[in-house]
Amino acid sequence: MAAELTSIKLNPESHIILDQPLLRLPNDLARRNFKSVQRAVEREEKYILPTLLEMNYGSLLEESESESTQEQTLSTLDNMLSRMQGLKRKMQTLQEEEKRIQTQSRKRIQHLETLHKIPTLADVKYDQWSRVRLDRLLVDHMLRSGYSESAKQLAEERGIEDLVDLGVFMQCQRVVESLRRGETKEALQWCGENKAALKKSQHNLEFELRLQQYIELVRSQDQTKKIEAIAHAKKYLVTNQETQNKEIMRAAGMLVFTQDTRAEPYQTLFSTERWKYLSDLFIKTHHELLSLPSQPLLHIALSAGLSALKTPLCHSAHTSTSSNSSSSMGSSVCPICSTELNDLARKMPYAHHSKSYVAGDSIVLPNGRVYS
Amino acid sequence: MDLVQKEHERVLRRLKASHVLKNVQSTIDILQSARDNIAADPSQTAATMAKLHNPVKHSFDNINDSLKETHSGLNKYTKSLDKLFKDRPLPSSELDALSNQEQLINRAIAMHLLREGQFSVAATFLSEITDQKSMLEEEIVSRSNLQTSNLFNIDEVPSTEIRKQFASMYYILHELKEKRNLLPAIEWSRENRESLAARGSNLEFELCRLQYVWLYYNKSLEPTDSPGNWQAAVNYARQEFQSFGPRYLPEIQKLLGAMAFIPNIQGSPYAATFNNPTAWEDVSQSFTREFCSLLGLSADSPLYIAATAGAIALPTLLKLQTIMKAKRTEWTTENELPVEISLPPSYLFHSVFVCPVSKEQATDENPPMMMPCGHVIAEESLKRLSKGGRFKCPYCPNESHCKDARKIFL
Repeated sequence: MAAELTSIKLNPESHIILDQPLLRLPNDLARRNFKSVQRAVEREEKYILPTLLEMNYGSLLEESESESTQEQTLSTLDNMLSRMQGLKRKMQTLQEEEKRIQTQSRKRIQHLETLHKIPTLADVKYDQWSRVRLDRLLVDHMLRSGYSESAKQLAEERGIEDLVDLGVFMQCQRVVESLRRGETKEALQWCGENKAALKKSQHNLEFELRLQQYIELVRSQDQTKKIEAIAHAKKYLVTNQETQNKEIMRAAGMLVFTQDTRAEPYQTLFSTERWKYLSDLFIKTHHELLSLPSQPLLHIALSAGLSALKTPLCHSAHTSTSSNSSSSMGSSVCPICSTELNDLARKMPYAHHSKSYVAGDSIVLPNGRVYS
Repeated sequence: MDLVQKEHERVLRRLKASHVLKNVQSTIDILQSARDNIAADPSQTAATMAKLHNPVKHSFDNINDSLKETHSGLNKYTKSLDKLFKDRPLPSSELDALSNQEQLINRAIAMHLLREGQFSVAATFLSEITDQKSMLEEEIVSRSNLQTSNLFNIDEVPSTEIRKQFASMYYILHELKEKRNLLPAIEWSRENRESLAARGSNLEFELCRLQYVWLYYNKSLEPTDSPGNWQAAVNYARQEFQSFGPRYLPEIQKLLGAMAFIPNIQGSPYAATFNNPTAWEDVSQSFTREFCSLLGLSADSPLYIAATAGAIALPTLLKLQTIMKAKRTEWTTENELPVEISLPPSYLFHSVFVCPVSKEQATDENPPMMMPCGHVIAEESLKRLSKGGRFKCPYCPNESHCKDARKIFL
């Protein structure tokens, strides 16, 4: 009995391993949001305060109240006013965004909080909670695989929009799709928006994107385009000389090759596969920046679960007696034996057991089968 | 968790009480009034400008102060999150053995959606999968004409047949639960009478019994003391119960015997049958189970069970991972997890046999063997103990020959 009790005890603190991104992501978004507020304020402050001082000095020195200076003062003030109005508008939208993020966080915390009120894994409430979690994991998986429409529909039908990050992933998906189409614009724009955070990233996404632009210019073999390419390289690539020297040399080398060359590394550089590489790199950078795990959480949960449930009998050559047990009120079909997961679990290790688990009053039939 | 909640509440409060916008507005007001002053009275330009700098700086300071406050709130909240998730690293990719099995996972998801009754989501999902696949195919074809054909043939997304089956299951369940209409379920169980009987299922009888009780109560939910519509019930019994024959005779006798107590069924020995609050729930559950098992599926969504079991197992597996990393040991048993994960009893679906001698789990290669005395050990242990001849059972004084041991199937 004691063993039974420990096996169904629910430890909420360790149970939420899978739910880290649930709170981390909105927090990261909130921090980013805050940073842009801060930057906007700083920019205006740096402009307005020194200008005011300057004007002050100016008017003190000149003492002349000529028409021109006065008009100038007025126009500077007008300029300041319009800038401040712009700041206000910007801050209003940012604050709205922050409110949205924080109410979302609130709901997520509440969702995790309910887990703390559930005493055991056998509780009906745990079942409900776990179903919501599965829906979340499914939506997460769909979003990552690019099935945005299904993800949206599922989230809506289950009413869990606040618990999943539709917006973030859909934006990511848009950029990925644009990269697959061979466009760098949206990805570069994203880089621009996240410049500060990207500095810490070990992947040099922006450089790779600029390099791709360069490659596209060289590809055409058009003389003017080539000159453009050199200018482009000077502007965007050479600035990274310290870290990317080798790549820059290669890029320079490309100028004398055509795109159907078979000489490495130029063939790889010219290859259209590079777009795939870029979109993968973008996903990686994007997820790292927002502290999202690189794998869909569903995969992690499933691979742990499949192993925990699997027994040697699930893929045994002999049909197990207990899996197709015919008692109508007895145990249901094992999930690993069920057709949906059987193939998936084939390569997984099976669970370790140190004790036998056999129903109490089993009988061995003459053919060697155990009836329980 | 409490700390996280507290810090987040603080963040929210601060957000609501934020003065930033007000301060920005006051800066605007100051600048505006200065501008108006100058415009109205040009001679005041110098004086106004001289007075302008300090208030503007002051209001900027105010803005920055309240920003700083927000920032420290956010920081504290972040720290509380760090604390909550300390020692609980994000599950790393090492635990993910499924990344190249996308196809199978998607199939499992589609099946899950279908069996949960989310037909429209499932349809969208399937069409998005096919869209993406055809897109990929096109891309590959346009790039090179290499072996594309056999790359994408492995899709076994649920056939329309299964989709139809689930749709009919949800129709029956809906009728059963919402409209208390047992007839579609009874009809289904009649159609599948043989396969149900092969499974030893009582579903058809359970359904008919409920229908009988339901008729007796005159199709109302509240069991009443007043004599119900016994005629309808008895008529139904005459019509239907014959086919159940000898197998359910005792049950049928009970049902009809109850009629003798009509004025006071609640006080009779038959009250339990007639006053069962979970009857409808039970019947729909056993219907679902039977329906799914005839399709070769388990009653609960396997995806749900596996994901839940995974969440229960993860803390242990993660701990194992860190220990293995720290000690630089490798996981030696390739086919078996190195730790025992205690799942709730309802997650045990098979009998498990662990050899009491070698402490190994029985497998196809190493099956359990029963000695004539009735004790069971694994085949390898048997071979090792007996060395091909007579030996004593490790559990009792009986001696036997290894030839006499029989393979058993759990």
